[in-house]
Amino acid sequence: ADVTWNVSLWGKRRAFTEHVEKLAQEVAAKTDGKFEIVLHYGGALSKSRENLDGISFGAFEMAQFCASYHADKNPTLTVLELPFLGVSDLETEVKVSKALYDHPAVQKDLGRWNAKLLMPSPMPQYNFAGKGDVPGSISDFDGMRVRALGGLGKLMEAVGAVPTSVTASETYQAIDSGTVQAAGFAPHAHLSFKVVEVADWWTKNLNPGTVHCPIVVNVDAYNALPDDFKAALDASVDPALAHYLDTYAKVYDKWWPELENRGVTQVEFTDEELAAFSSKAGPIHEAWVAEQSANGLPAQELLDMVKKTIAE
Amino acid sequence: MMTIDPGGRSDQERPVTYIRFDGWLARVENAFNMFAAFSILALMLLAVAQVVGRVFNTPVPGFIDITEQAMAIFAFAGVAYCQRVGGHIRMEIVLGNLSGRTLYICELIGVILIAFTVALLIWGSWYHFERAWNIGDSTMDIRLPTWPSKLVIPVALSLLFLRLLMQIYGYARLIADPRRTPIAVPVIEGVEEHAKHEIEEAFGEDTKEGGSK
Amino acid sequence: MTPFDVGLLMTGVLLVLVILGVRVAFAAAFTGLVGLIIHFSMKMGFERGFFVALQMAGTIPHSKSVTYALSVLPTFILIGFLAFYAGFTKQLFEAAKRWLGWLPGGMAVGTVFSTAGFAAVSGASVATAAVFARVAIPEMLNAGYSKRLSAAVVAAGGTLASLIPPSAILVIYAILVEQSVGKLLIAGFLPGVFSALIYVGIIVAVSAWRGDAPPVKGYTWMERIESVPGTLPIIAVVAIIFCSFFFGWATPTEAGALGAFVVLMVAFAKGMKTKQLGQALHETAKLTVMIFTLIWGVLVYVRFLGFAGLPEAFKDFIVALEFSPWIVMICILLAYAVLGMFMDAIGMLILTLPVVYPAVMALNGGESVSAADSAFGMSGEACAIWFGILVVKMAELCLITPPIGLNCFVVSGVRPDIPVQEVFRGCIPFFVADVLTIAGLLAFPSIITILPTLMG
Ligand code: NA
Ligand code: NA
Repeated sequence: ADVTWNVSLWGKRRAFTEHVEKLAQEVAAKTDGKFEIVLHYGGALSKSRENLDGISFGAFEMAQFCASYHADKNPTLTVLELPFLGVSDLETEVKVSKALYDHPAVQKDLGRWNAKLLMPSPMPQYNFAGKGDVPGSISDFDGMRVRALGGLGKLMEAVGAVPTSVTASETYQAIDSGTVQAAGFAPHAHLSFKVVEVADWWTKNLNPGTVHCPIVVNVDAYNALPDDFKAALDASVDPALAHYLDTYAKVYDKWWPELENRGVTQVEFTDEELAAFSSKAGPIHEAWVAEQSANGLPAQELLDMVKKTIAE
Repeated sequence: MMTIDPGGRSDQERPVTYIRFDGWLARVENAFNMFAAFSILALMLLAVAQVVGRVFNTPVPGFIDITEQAMAIFAFAGVAYCQRVGGHIRMEIVLGNLSGRTLYICELIGVILIAFTVALLIWGSWYHFERAWNIGDSTMDIRLPTWPSKLVIPVALSLLFLRLLMQIYGYARLIADPRRTPIAVPVIEGVEEHAKHEIEEAFGEDTKEGGSK
Repeated sequence: MTPFDVGLLMTGVLLVLVILGVRVAFAAAFTGLVGLIIHFSMKMGFERGFFVALQMAGTIPHSKSVTYALSVLPTFILIGFLAFYAGFTKQLFEAAKRWLGWLPGGMAVGTVFSTAGFAAVSGASVATAAVFARVAIPEMLNAGYSKRLSAAVVAAGGTLASLIPPSAILVIYAILVEQSVGKLLIAGFLPGVFSALIYVGIIVAVSAWRGDAPPVKGYTWMERIESVPGTLPIIAVVAIIFCSFFFGWATPTEAGALGAFVVLMVAFAKGMKTKQLGQALHETAKLTVMIFTLIWGVLVYVRFLGFAGLPEAFKDFIVALEFSPWIVMICILLAYAVLGMFMDAIGMLILTLPVVYPAVMALNGGESVSAADSAFGMSGEACAIWFGILVVKMAELCLITPPIGLNCFVVSGVRPDIPVQEVFRGCIPFFVADVLTIAGLLAFPSIITILPTLMG
């Protein structure tokens, strides 16, 4: 190969990384193998939380990370992690992510890390799975110990829940033993962290929000690409995302039967309940705008743009 | 500070400045190690508070974030102290069979190599701190800034670097004259002496009155 | 030179440096750093490559040390250093003697159980041997036991520390191979008990045959029951830690902290002074920083290996071997036994696992292999746990074998009247017992895997 790029990923190969696999294939095909993208799993090149650091000094050319791992490294991206933005499906999330990536303030934010946003890894909405009494209404979360980090934790706190520190890999044991009563994850994480095996219930339509995990590339490496390689990379993004969405749909092929087989109660809250719950998000949005405006970011503009794009 | 020369030499022969600097450095190292020790005690109490608090539905907010950031203290603060007392493990099958100038030359090369590595790591870990300081970085749950704990690394490694410089000088003066009494360098002990030290550590103060010697 | 060649070259450099006696943590960091510089210089020229390597290496000490799972280590170490001041040893030995003294070689049997019990909380093999050399050997000698047996049983009993939870070395293994810390710690429990039982079997058999280790009889049930309360704190600590993991009541760090807190309270109640607490804390901090330095130092080297692709290549090499996986496994274990003769157990594990572990997993059929499709008849996770316990057992074995079986030197050091050769000779039956144990663990992996499996 004329050009070899290394990609820093954590964990095993899974639905969450399938767009990068596809991207590497597409790029190789388009350049007759002259542009090779090599995936390194398991944090072999960097811990997930230091992927932006590695990108900044060019240890590898491409990496994945989640905005919530280090909100202050990437404040503009956290707008997509605010609760109750109203993202209904992964397609919408792709759309709003791309719009956000085009915004100059966001490009400047990531530019500090010498990083250019290539594509999102859209994640479905978080929902809570828990053990014990099935919550019939939002008020039942009052006093419940939940594993919910960052913004989601704040939202749950607003309805009286008690956010409790538990690492993701310890969640299964923590729920089983009652250390926490419920945990918020996307469905695939409920599966991989085995929460579903101990859960009695799952909030089917709470949909409070999700995390945002982009793929970025090193700006210098990108600019140094010959024009045809650059074109091949850019043109591979859409097929990669299409493949990702297909793969992700299959996660749900496992998810629904899993819930059925294990007899997990699927809780659906009424529209009034959800409206009351989402009203708690208002102050959190305002606080975000106030904080990021104080940091000199066009926060209100970003939030309005995100909301408008989602509504379109 | 040492006032009587263990080798029984006159004042002119003793590296006075060196001994004084060594004593000063040792105090800083002891303080750093004690700081690490207290951070361990604090971690213990915080974790007990977390368990008890959880029972009453008031867990410590961001317990994992706090613990992780505090870990930099006990993972690094004692690193120079540990080097001084020869606590970082190594294999002694070759060194244990050397003596005199040959031994000190090997020791010197080893310490120079460590000092080189540590110098570069101070530089590199300073960059790591600088990014968090200049651009921003925070923990996942309660968004603690990470720069203070990242700063611990270059600071602790700098202290280690000073200790290594002392040891370089310490071995250099022994190479110049192997009959000198070693000062401020760890001395290799055979397995019997090692065992003796382990025993002293296990029994603490009462070794002297016990029947072990 | 390909990146792989650089990887191989630097691994050779590391081996030479370690053998020449450079402190392992820094030898590894040096090799990793130089390797990264060569790697990036080949890719982008020295001027840029040097700085990329510098910054890459510079992220690792913080990134790899500041990991929640590792925060359990100092709490376990603290338990060990405080356990001595809490004065568990005498009561434990007294209780074991009263309850088990009636067996042939009964005092020695009691010593095995009390060392195992103390080892459980102290986690320190060598220190356990030192303490019991003083507590148990005089009583055994008074009862007419031979010096050889008395000394050997103390040296061997101390080796049980690393298997019975809490165990720092199992925590390190779990984190290096990214398995559940709780499961590894629980997994050590039965093999630890199993080892102790095999020791007991050997003592009883040899004593009954030779008749030189008389039973101690005549304790009433009342006297036996009276000896129990003194052992309660130790039982409490083991129970806290075991239950926390097994039932998931607390994370390892929380359990370790609770255990340390209990031991601290008992130690204060037994009259430990602030100065002694200071000493225990100082020693805890020293051992903690030694382990952390070793971890990040080796991980600088491992990061370089990641760029060079060496673990992958070693894995492919092992899998491509023409021998049966069982033969390869036994060879790996023997290699650990040899290495353990020259190196501290923790250093040996941290240094070798990043390369050896992926190969062992591949040998079994991969990380996510099912028991049915695997070479050793167990799932990837079970294999990881099984291998961990075996390796730790191998490392412990080296504490009672020449040339540097430290436990034997320690026992002989506490009892100058017993020459170290005598202790080594006395340890031969226990060495045989350990070989039997390892064979048993190889043949019946469920001794190791059953408890972690029950955890789910
Ligand atoms: Na133990
Ligand atoms: Na050993």
